Amino acid sequence: MIKFFFLVVFLVSNNIFSILEIEILKGSDNLSKVAFVPFGVEDGIEESYGGQISKFIEGNMLLFGEFENLDESEMLSYPSSESDFYYRDWKIQGVDYSLIGKVNSVNSLGNLNISYSLFNINRRIKILEGEIIGSENNLEGISKIISNRIYEQITGLKGIFDTKLAYVVNSDPETYQICISNIDGKNEQILFTSKAPIMSPDWSPDRKKIAYVSFENGLAEIFIQDLISGQRDSIQALGMTNSAPVWSPDGKSLALVVSFSGNPDIFLYSLNNKKLTRLTNHYGIDTEPSWSPDSKKIIFTSDRTGSPQLYEINTKSKRKKRLTRDGNYNARGRYFPDGKSIFFVHGNDGNFQIATKKLSSRYIETLTSTSLDESPAISPNGNIIIYATKDGTNGYLGGITLDGKSRFSLPVKNGSVREPAWSPLLN
Amino acid sequence: MRRLFMEPIGIFILAMICQVYSCAANVSDSVERMQYASVAGEEYLQEEKLDTNLGDKVFFEFDKSSLDAEDKNLLEQYLPFIKKAKIVRLEGHCDERGTREYNLALGERRALEVRDFLIVKGVSGKKIRVVSFGEEKPLKSASNENAWAENRRVEISLY
Repeated sequence: MIKFFFLVVFLVSNNIFSILEIEILKGSDNLSKVAFVPFGVEDGIEESYGGQISKFIEGNMLLFGEFENLDESEMLSYPSSESDFYYRDWKIQGVDYSLIGKVNSVNSLGNLNISYSLFNINRRIKILEGEIIGSENNLEGISKIISNRIYEQITGLKGIFDTKLAYVVNSDPETYQICISNIDGKNEQILFTSKAPIMSPDWSPDRKKIAYVSFENGLAEIFIQDLISGQRDSIQALGMTNSAPVWSPDGKSLALVVSFSGNPDIFLYSLNNKKLTRLTNHYGIDTEPSWSPDSKKIIFTSDRTGSPQLYEINTKSKRKKRLTRDGNYNARGRYFPDGKSIFFVHGNDGNFQIATKKLSSRYIETLTSTSLDESPAISPNGNIIIYATKDGTNGYLGGITLDGKSRFSLPVKNGSVREPAWSPLLN
Repeated sequence: MRRLFMEPIGIFILAMICQVYSCAANVSDSVERMQYASVAGEEYLQEEKLDTNLGDKVFFEFDKSSLDAEDKNLLEQYLPFIKKAKIVRLEGHCDERGTREYNLALGERRALEVRDFLIVKGVSGKKIRVVSFGEEKPLKSASNENAWAENRRVEISLY
């Protein structure tokens, strides 16, 4: 009966405004300058398509403060094919890379063939060319694919422009929502609304489901929600509190925390046979599990020595290793995609900040300078960390790029936003 | 030097107590959960609350769950009322500092500390319902020492 008390709003698309919008706070010092030349358009095709595509790509590439652009009004020429392209027009403007392209018609059904070329101005060579066939109704999606390819070509890192974020919004003290959106905050969808707290969203590796904790029945319970059907299933684990679910890299099980009468330990939960297997057994608090990229280890927080510190446990041998020793608060660790470093929340003189550490070294590097930072999540290419922080009474998301150290924020218009979870890449 | 030796012994005793509790829990967990679910949530909170005129909260230090003399004194004053009550609800909370999932566990531990004190004083464990909200339901939303001190609490209510 209680369940009916809560309003279930599934996939209510809200395109009119987005809750999150990225603001660049500090770009890196020596940003590469990119010219996104409006794409040429074949006769007979809507002329604005060319400009729309180059603007979408420009918007993506500038999203996290990793590049600067050459404004369209300052361009000396607007080439759309290699034969019209002159390096000197771009060299003189201090441009490092130029992107040109052309939109051609495939058939009368609105299918387009979009070809593009990327030039390295300093080396005077074409470094990428490609073409994509897609619908005129999906210019934004096509632009994301092109953005991913040129980002990968320039930085050597996977492009992440078609990934998504999940997060918890607390718009007033009585309203908790779990939402997903594109990484630029657009296309926000509310997955579930409740009067009781919601915590700990985590994406399944196939991006089709999200696991999270909901208090809708009065205590912490883990739910898995299917993003297509909207169906929600609770995990009937025993114990008082079930929390902190994280999907294994193969998507077949969850690591989670079960508290049998007040003793939280890490368990593995098989989604096939619903079997619960104990991983840790200690009277202290063991929580916040997360898988290593090779699935062999799980990092977790434990206060077994008196203060929260990070440990890892081998899921087969059950051998444990302490990972942090400096400071009296190191918690909610996650592995980098390469498995060689970790990032976590580091408490230092009453400030809680996002920090990283190589597994091979003792040295902890603090990345953020605000004081109430938590819930860090990493982009699938390992270059961007977003985290929750607080300004006055409102929570918002902050972000940092690891290579160039540019900083950005995703402010929220109403209430507080927290616990960002970054989706995996599309396969 | 003596402290150094005493601490491991204390921890060992604590471990033994926890073991006893968790063994008991394994048997009755499903029952306990069903009982809890039937009284938890919004409907449960609309039931008539027993008025005691006592303070309804005990407070804690950062990242700690131990009760001080003042807390214990307050809890002892509850004992005659608890005899008349059907249910004792203990709700553990934390301040916003540190991580959310760790705080969920810490809030639970605070509520259990209160439960264990009441059990030692003769209250039946069956009467007691424990829930933690971690840092999800602060009383004060400001980020300063005063707000944090008020938010690190266990709320006691009798039904």
